[in-house]
Amino acid sequence: MTSMTPERFRQLTEAYGALPDHWPQEERAAAQALLAQHDPQALAAIEEALQLDEYLESFAVPAPDTHLIRRIIASAPAAAAPRRASSFWRQPRLWFSGAGLIGAGVAGIAAGTMAISLTGSPAGTATNSNALGMIDQSYGGTVFSSTPPDWSDQ
Amino acid sequence: MNETDPDAELVARVGAEEPGAVREMVARKLPRLLALATRMLGDREEANDVAQEAFVRIWKEASRWQQGPARFDTWLHRVALNLCYDRLRSGSRSGSSSVSSAGSRRERGMTDDIPEAVDPAPLPDERMSESERNERIKAALAALPARQREALVLQYYQELSNVEAAQLMGISVDALESLLSRARRNLRGHLAGERDGSGTPLPKKERREESR
Repeated sequence: MTSMTPERFRQLTEAYGALPDHWPQEERAAAQALLAQHDPQALAAIEEALQLDEYLESFAVPAPDTHLIRRIIASAPAAAAPRRASSFWRQPRLWFSGAGLIGAGVAGIAAGTMAISLTGSPAGTATNSNALGMIDQSYGGTVFSSTPPDWSDQ
Repeated sequence: MNETDPDAELVARVGAEEPGAVREMVARKLPRLLALATRMLGDREEANDVAQEAFVRIWKEASRWQQGPARFDTWLHRVALNLCYDRLRSGSRSGSSSVSSAGSRRERGMTDDIPEAVDPAPLPDERMSESERNERIKAALAALPARQREALVLQYYQELSNVEAAQLMGISVDALESLLSRARRNLRGHLAGERDGSGTPLPKKERREESR
């Protein structure tokens, strides 16, 4: 254990305050030993530091409010992904544009069927595939998609 | 500081977007971040903003966080302090006049050139309400130069060790100790000066003088 002089003890309390837990670990035991001897200079230094510590303790910070907690949790990607997906049906524009794409797909199928019936060419099959493929791509990253959306650029 | 980082496992879980990890991180870190920012800025709303911005940084970094020489908590303190300093530098504050006056005090506080209390008197020890004490220490803390306030907040309120606080501030332990001593001396001077200004005579400093 390092030795502790009353002068060094005062320096400690003037910098770190009166609580031994706040003192540097390597000097704590020696400082407490000096205090245990009831050194008058050490006791005076402690009392002075304690006065300021009591003021410092009175600066309490209230707990975080629930609005802030909610905002922070909502800002996390893990929270954002499922919430965005579930909000799909609450956004009329998206919903209607999705319906529009389904309509376009049905129109494509009809057009392909008509092309086959008109030309007898197998090219019409490709048209059908493209139309359905477009629907699949359009719903990537929504409630209809099995793969999770990539929000990394958000 | 080669021991295991106590936050490493939780950070990895946040990075992997595990259910519950985000809430756990918020529960673990938000009160500390908010306390740090509130005491650095002296303004709750700005502290809320700083805390929120700090969490955005956590969400960004979590998936690529790797344990290094610095602990996650140390990194997070640095992030929050940088955000606080951005606001202290900008000095842009809106709101009440008390907030504005705090803002101007903080702008002064960015420099380390306020006159120090050379031999502050003992603090008044008569009973006063807790809220009155709270207001006084808030004002005294806000009047400190920012680096002194930072040192005190890290060491006293955030309960970092002297080595951790010095490392975080990029200074030696001796320099930290010097900052802390000056901070506490200035606080005492500010608090005692308030009483002096109110017309109440300050108690004599016999005990202090005896010890020198």
